[in-house]
Amino acid sequence: MSVADRVLERLRPHDTERLGPLERAAYIFEKVGTIVIAGVLLLVFSLTTSVFFTEANIDNILIQIAVVGVVAIGESIVMLLRGIDLSVGSVTLFSAVVIGVLNVSHHTSVALAILVALLLSVGVGLVNGILVALVRVEPIIVTLGTSLAISGLNQRLLADNGSWISVNDQFFVGMVVNKIWVLPVMAVILFVLYAAAGVLLRKTPFGRYIYAVGGNPRAAHLAGIPAPLVLIAAYALCGLCAGIAGVLITAQVGTISQAVGGDLLFSAITVVVVGGLSLAGGAGSVEKTLVGAIIFGMIYNFLTLQSFSNYYKQAIAGFLILGAAVLIQLARVGRER
Amino acid sequence: MALPQQSPESLSEAAIPILAMKGITRRFPGTLALDDVDFTVNRSEIHALVGQNGAGKSTLVKILAGDYDATAGSIVIDGRPVTIRNTRDARRLGIGVVYQELSLLPNLTVAENVFLGREPTRLTNVNQGELIRRAREALDQLGILHIDVRTRVARLTLAERQLVEIAKVLSLDPRILILDEPTAALSQDDVERLFSILRRLKGRNIGIAYISHRFKEILALCDRGTVLRGGRVVSVFETKNMTLDMLVEATLGQKQETFFRRNVRHEGIRREEALVVRNLSAGDKVRDVSFDIHRGEIVGLCGLLGSGQNEVGRALFGDLQGEVHGTIELNGRRVTPRAPHRAKQLGIGFLTENRREEGLFPEMRSEENISIASLGRFVWAKVLPFIRGWSVRRAIWSIAQKTRVAPSALPRPVRFLSGGNQQKVVISRWLLRDSEVLVFAEPTFGVDVGAKNEIYRQLEALAHEGKSILVISTDIPEILGLSDRIFVMYHGSFTAEFSREEASEEQIVRAMQGAHDHVGS
Repeated sequence: MSVADRVLERLRPHDTERLGPLERAAYIFEKVGTIVIAGVLLLVFSLTTSVFFTEANIDNILIQIAVVGVVAIGESIVMLLRGIDLSVGSVTLFSAVVIGVLNVSHHTSVALAILVALLLSVGVGLVNGILVALVRVEPIIVTLGTSLAISGLNQRLLADNGSWISVNDQFFVGMVVNKIWVLPVMAVILFVLYAAAGVLLRKTPFGRYIYAVGGNPRAAHLAGIPAPLVLIAAYALCGLCAGIAGVLITAQVGTISQAVGGDLLFSAITVVVVGGLSLAGGAGSVEKTLVGAIIFGMIYNFLTLQSFSNYYKQAIAGFLILGAAVLIQLARVGRER
Repeated sequence: MALPQQSPESLSEAAIPILAMKGITRRFPGTLALDDVDFTVNRSEIHALVGQNGAGKSTLVKILAGDYDATAGSIVIDGRPVTIRNTRDARRLGIGVVYQELSLLPNLTVAENVFLGREPTRLTNVNQGELIRRAREALDQLGILHIDVRTRVARLTLAERQLVEIAKVLSLDPRILILDEPTAALSQDDVERLFSILRRLKGRNIGIAYISHRFKEILALCDRGTVLRGGRVVSVFETKNMTLDMLVEATLGQKQETFFRRNVRHEGIRREEALVVRNLSAGDKVRDVSFDIHRGEIVGLCGLLGSGQNEVGRALFGDLQGEVHGTIELNGRRVTPRAPHRAKQLGIGFLTENRREEGLFPEMRSEENISIASLGRFVWAKVLPFIRGWSVRRAIWSIAQKTRVAPSALPRPVRFLSGGNQQKVVISRWLLRDSEVLVFAEPTFGVDVGAKNEIYRQLEALAHEGKSILVISTDIPEILGLSDRIFVMYHGSFTAEFSREEASEEQIVRAMQGAHDHVGS
């Protein structure tokens, strides 16, 4: 490097590479904000309500959030790709209905019933993905359509089987009652799935492609990433997650009816947003969605313990979304300032 | 210099010029963009504003449009001194600017766009009938009869949009019309159509300032011209006394700028052709183009903005919409890269000229930006597609060392990096991929001098390793400094081929203007 080059280097410091204090604060909030909020809530709730921090109640919270948490994994992946899947609620119920119909009405084995339910759920996801990626219909329209179609199918299947199906197989009962070490089986499944999703997103090319396509589709295309395949796989995965959630919800409620999982879609989106995933795509992580689910579960549980009615709970969920959105926006403004 | 030097005053004794800028100086931190510039446009005159990139043309236009203040100098319109503080002032004074990047809203109709914000109303509603009638009138006046004012702008071709944009600016009744490179995206026919419109406008007693890099067009269209070089006026001429060669000379000047010149080792260029392209055509953007690149060779491809050079690169990488004809052979095997991911598998790498929109994943770490195109190579096994973190990192480190991306920058989101470092990151992506054929479009766009030289050295090293490189650039010194052979494009065709020894800046500029001298050598 010549003297002139050196001088030039000095004159043009890479100032964009340095962060100001506000930007740093926003950056840090983006990284750990949700965990801090979760910690504060845990502390406050534990100190104000005696039964909150007991083993039974913690188990209760974890079982409560298992279903929505699993659905939110798939929704996070789709939202990382700037998409949205509105069909997760009806697919979850669909999976439960299929299990019920096969296991109870047709006496097939639990394993086979679950396998068929999961395959069908993946199938719905594939249809969503193909319509979004290849036919290029807006995700919100595609998944609204499949959601309505599946919902109609659910009603038909339930009506044909007496409006409600009670699943009493020991397998499902065990998922709620049994524990592995200190955790309920449902919670273990939840954590294992999150760990798997985390590994998938971080440690595999497919995971990186999701961030790339979500972050800048044009650049992904020009980096030689087959974006349509990534999209299709992501929607299929989202369908799979909803299918697994159907297994969990079967265990949780025991009796499958039209009323099951009605608010699941909105809860799942709330969880993702509270977790701080960027709606613009390409940024965020599935771990944060888990933290979002825990925050969501703790607040609902706290309100139940304080005997608030369900109406209040819904209103509070709404405020949660708005609050999270405002915080995310503030962090973004701070960062781009 | 054998250029006609005339003072603006003697040319305009009869009428007062419609626009007279005197002693305009504009200082930016560290540079003097305009230094005591006089610029005069007469009534009923098309006046060319000519100069290389960075000569000060756009600064001058921005001062007129009210985007910048002048540091010193005065502006006189119709004999009256004026001050232009903002774009509203400019509009009030009758200055209309048609910019290169168009301002039309694609989802509105032509009529709605032309009268955006000034729609005729009936009570509180837009009077649709009146709107369409007046828009039709505005287009008819320009002789644009083939565009239906009720179509949405999104459905128009680029050339049609350009015409609508001009109609929009003209509907404000400007007395001074400024056009900034309006023909860059137009085909020959559209250029002719635009010219006849401009000639007709001239008769309406308005002054037109016409900015272009295309000297032939200037000579055909304009009455007078002003040449800027390095922020100073070097010549004011009448086109009837001007030739293409004189224009080239005036814009370039005598002074040869010092720039990077690589050490060529001719023995480095192997005999084998890595890439053979024959009769490549794509719409009216690329017309019957043939060339080849040997292993270890850097081939330069240049042309004015919009001459088709970028489309050649995109055709090689499978990123061109529409029909592509011709054959491409890679190491003797015929290939048809239909999509970038196919081209990538075939061993072609492509660096976009549009780093921000098409190159970077802003939220991802720099190292992830580098590795994204090569991850398949770093998994445990095909059936166990987990990334081997350490081996990727080691590979990235060794690439980053070559391209001089600071190790501390690697784990940071790439949006925090400077333009030069971002460019090095995107280049590193294709070095890690280890593609045999590399197409680099504008490899040093928006990059500071230090980084520029590092990038040049890197390209040199790549050629030495036996890679075949196509450098596409509008920066002539860059092309001259890097290339073993140079092809020049004009309106989608090759107009010249130069070897490293015979190429000169002047010849290249002339070929970029469409002069055929070394065709198919």
